[in-house]
Amino acid sequence: MTALLRHVAPAERISSTSFSEASARTRVELLLDPGSFVEFIGPEKREISPHLRIFDLPEQFDDGIVVGHGRLDGSPVFIAAQEGRFMGGAFGEVHGAKLTGLLRAARQIRSTPVLVLFDTGGVRLQEANAGELAIAEIMRALMEARTAGVKVIGLIGGRSGCYGGGGLIAGCCSALAVSEPGRIAVSGPEVIETNRGVEEFDSRDRALVWRTMGGKHRRLLGAADVFTDDTMQDFREAALDLLGLVGTFGLDKLKAEQMRLGDRLRRFGACEDAVDIWTADGIAHAETVPELSADQFIALANRIGRTSRDAR
Amino acid sequence: MLMSTNAEKSTTTWQHHREARDSRLEAGARLARGKTVEARDATRLLEAVIRPGDRVCLEGDNQKQADLLSRALLAVDLSKVNDLHMVQSGVVLPEHLDLFDRGVARKLDYAYSGPQSARIAHMLFGGKIELGAVHTYLELFARYFIDLTPHVALIAAVSADREGNLYTGPNTEDTPTVVEATAFKDGVLIAQVNEIVDQVPRVDIPADRVHFVVKADKPFFVEPLFTRDPAAITEGQILTAMLAIKGIYAPYGVRRLNHGIGFSTAAIELLLPTFGDRLGLKGRIATHFALNPHPALIPAIESGWVQQIHSFGSEVGMEEYIRARSDVYFTGPDGSLRSNRAFCQTAGLYACDMFIGSTLQIDLQGNSSTVTTSRIAGFGGAPNMGADARGRRHPSEPWLKAGGEADPDSPALLRRGRKLVVQIGETFGDRNVPLFVEKLDAIELAEKLNLELAPIMIYGDDVTHIVTEEGVANLLLCRNAGEREQAIRGVAGYTEVGRGRDRNMVERLRQRGVIRRPEDLGINPLDADRSMLAARSIKDLVRWSGGLYAPPSKFRNW
Repeated sequence: MTALLRHVAPAERISSTSFSEASARTRVELLLDPGSFVEFIGPEKREISPHLRIFDLPEQFDDGIVVGHGRLDGSPVFIAAQEGRFMGGAFGEVHGAKLTGLLRAARQIRSTPVLVLFDTGGVRLQEANAGELAIAEIMRALMEARTAGVKVIGLIGGRSGCYGGGGLIAGCCSALAVSEPGRIAVSGPEVIETNRGVEEFDSRDRALVWRTMGGKHRRLLGAADVFTDDTMQDFREAALDLLGLVGTFGLDKLKAEQMRLGDRLRRFGACEDAVDIWTADGIAHAETVPELSADQFIALANRIGRTSRDAR
Repeated sequence: MLMSTNAEKSTTTWQHHREARDSRLEAGARLARGKTVEARDATRLLEAVIRPGDRVCLEGDNQKQADLLSRALLAVDLSKVNDLHMVQSGVVLPEHLDLFDRGVARKLDYAYSGPQSARIAHMLFGGKIELGAVHTYLELFARYFIDLTPHVALIAAVSADREGNLYTGPNTEDTPTVVEATAFKDGVLIAQVNEIVDQVPRVDIPADRVHFVVKADKPFFVEPLFTRDPAAITEGQILTAMLAIKGIYAPYGVRRLNHGIGFSTAAIELLLPTFGDRLGLKGRIATHFALNPHPALIPAIESGWVQQIHSFGSEVGMEEYIRARSDVYFTGPDGSLRSNRAFCQTAGLYACDMFIGSTLQIDLQGNSSTVTTSRIAGFGGAPNMGADARGRRHPSEPWLKAGGEADPDSPALLRRGRKLVVQIGETFGDRNVPLFVEKLDAIELAEKLNLELAPIMIYGDDVTHIVTEEGVANLLLCRNAGEREQAIRGVAGYTEVGRGRDRNMVERLRQRGVIRRPEDLGINPLDADRSMLAARSIKDLVRWSGGLYAPPSKFRNW
């Protein structure tokens, strides 16, 4: 009767499944070559948060993150995927340790790249310092892995975005792919509004939120290297593209990144709104950017949006 | 004797009201140029035309608000204006209640108080408001013509011309009803307008019913109340929607209907072009609606499901889409929507075969209520939609079939039909609060406030079906109160009420088809997946509309 999802052929499923709607496990399953995923510390191990029980909060057997290895187009990869539907994908002690361990394994093996599927509001407040420490450990492990020659690719398109410590970690990655629903920032809209007032940032003005933190703006600013449509197929292709593009990492690259960011601040530091930045970047009718379809936007971004291959 | 009677008769006047109105108009005219009054003089105008104790309708709708006039009324000199009796359908703005705090108004008759539901409960408990009654829309409108006729009505429109002809735009809503009752019974009409123009796009209210026009400095407040983001629809809601379509819409062949505003009915709207289409139901169900312009219905309209929609009000962002789909919507010579709450409520009551909507609490008799002990949201229109119309006389297939199920033994030619009144929801609602309860909060509230009547949204004897993720209960097929109770318990899941079921009786009811489980309807709960929705985001709705739907910023994620 009805054409059901689980009866659909894999090829059709990967092109019809929305990244933003899928669970972390579905994302991992569809991103990698079919049947290739092997999980580390899976839910059967019941490595749950030691902190949530104190607050009488529900726990999850995988603590909201799936880590493991598999194959992407035949080649081995490590992969981590945050579950944005469990506590907003927030980092806790166990959650963070799983990602740290994965990055350390990659550092040791050197040749296997890492895919990080972010979907997070930042640190789990209930885990306080343990969560903050996890962010620091992940950033260190990530930079050590990159120094050892590992490519670390971030994929951002989940409904919780990539905020707080997640935004910091994403900034450490070799390259990022982002979709329109994906948002990347450190302070979230509500945090800014609470601290600086609604005049500074109206968190309920969702168009403002998206043009300030959303995937399109991040791509045009060069913070994300690739913009992709929201299907699993598009994200898989973006991951493959980025693995092919990322070069070696060293001091020169960090200096180039510093230059890039300094240049960005000089050019756009006085802009009040993302639309001003886009206009200053030479985009005609910049106010229509949010309305562009993925294809139209990718064409525009390839023409205008700067990414510097020697930076990051 | 005869002489004196004649003398008395010659001095009796039957035009006190007209004279009073004329003296009010004269007082107001001193502040006006023609009919136009400056915004800064609005309070003085109100002080000039309103008398203490007047019945005042401060529009006050479900969506649009005469906000400038609300603020102006709040600022009146209490020695000139006080003790007003407010008669308005919507108590929506904070100012509507500030009037009572300040003593400008004393008594209230209303229908709906959505965003002010907590404060209105607080003020009723504190004795700040003398409550006339909480009405349904149609009741309050009816009373405008019997015993709650406004002395003064303060209304909102988009534009006026120099003569005072008004254009209300798509949100006509209550205005024609309020104007009719006030203007033709010697009342005073004051309109706030967004702009004054040489020629209005169309005349919604003729100038001879309008006495004063105040130009507001910014457009009147209007709230998008009927936009449900498809991204927030859960798999549980999709399952209940599938059960409703296959278990109720299809077997009764429901073509004329009204939908509530919850996510379950939004899920139904988004399943019509997918699940409904695969069941071959296009053209056989859901073709004619009494319904606001729900954005969630765009995919069904674009897929050719919907033939006609009449609306109570409008919806922000739908203006251009409606204009371009005039085959479906009611539009004026200017091309924009013409809504009318009174007519649409009447249509929902008499011309629809089904109402389906969500509620907060259902008891063992099937009574339902959206009142909790701390919130009195009012009724709005749901009881008008969700009630069997005893005055109905025209037959239709669903109406006759439902009547036959309720009363199989009466001769068909003498048997009333029944409107299908369906309550849909998950057994545990928002924040895991159970939908089913032994005793409604509404009863507790009525006891605390000494009300003569508990605020029941839909009475149990009007409810014909209850749909939850556990199945469909057809109350028409129940033959006594005991069966009814078990039919309700039988779809109440793991709530206390559900766990209190008599398993054997529920099983017998299932064998009789009173209760139908998903598997009885050939529905696998695992198929209830978001990929079934014709649109999964607001952006998908924009795409379906060909870019004509322009969602307000608060609903965007791009």
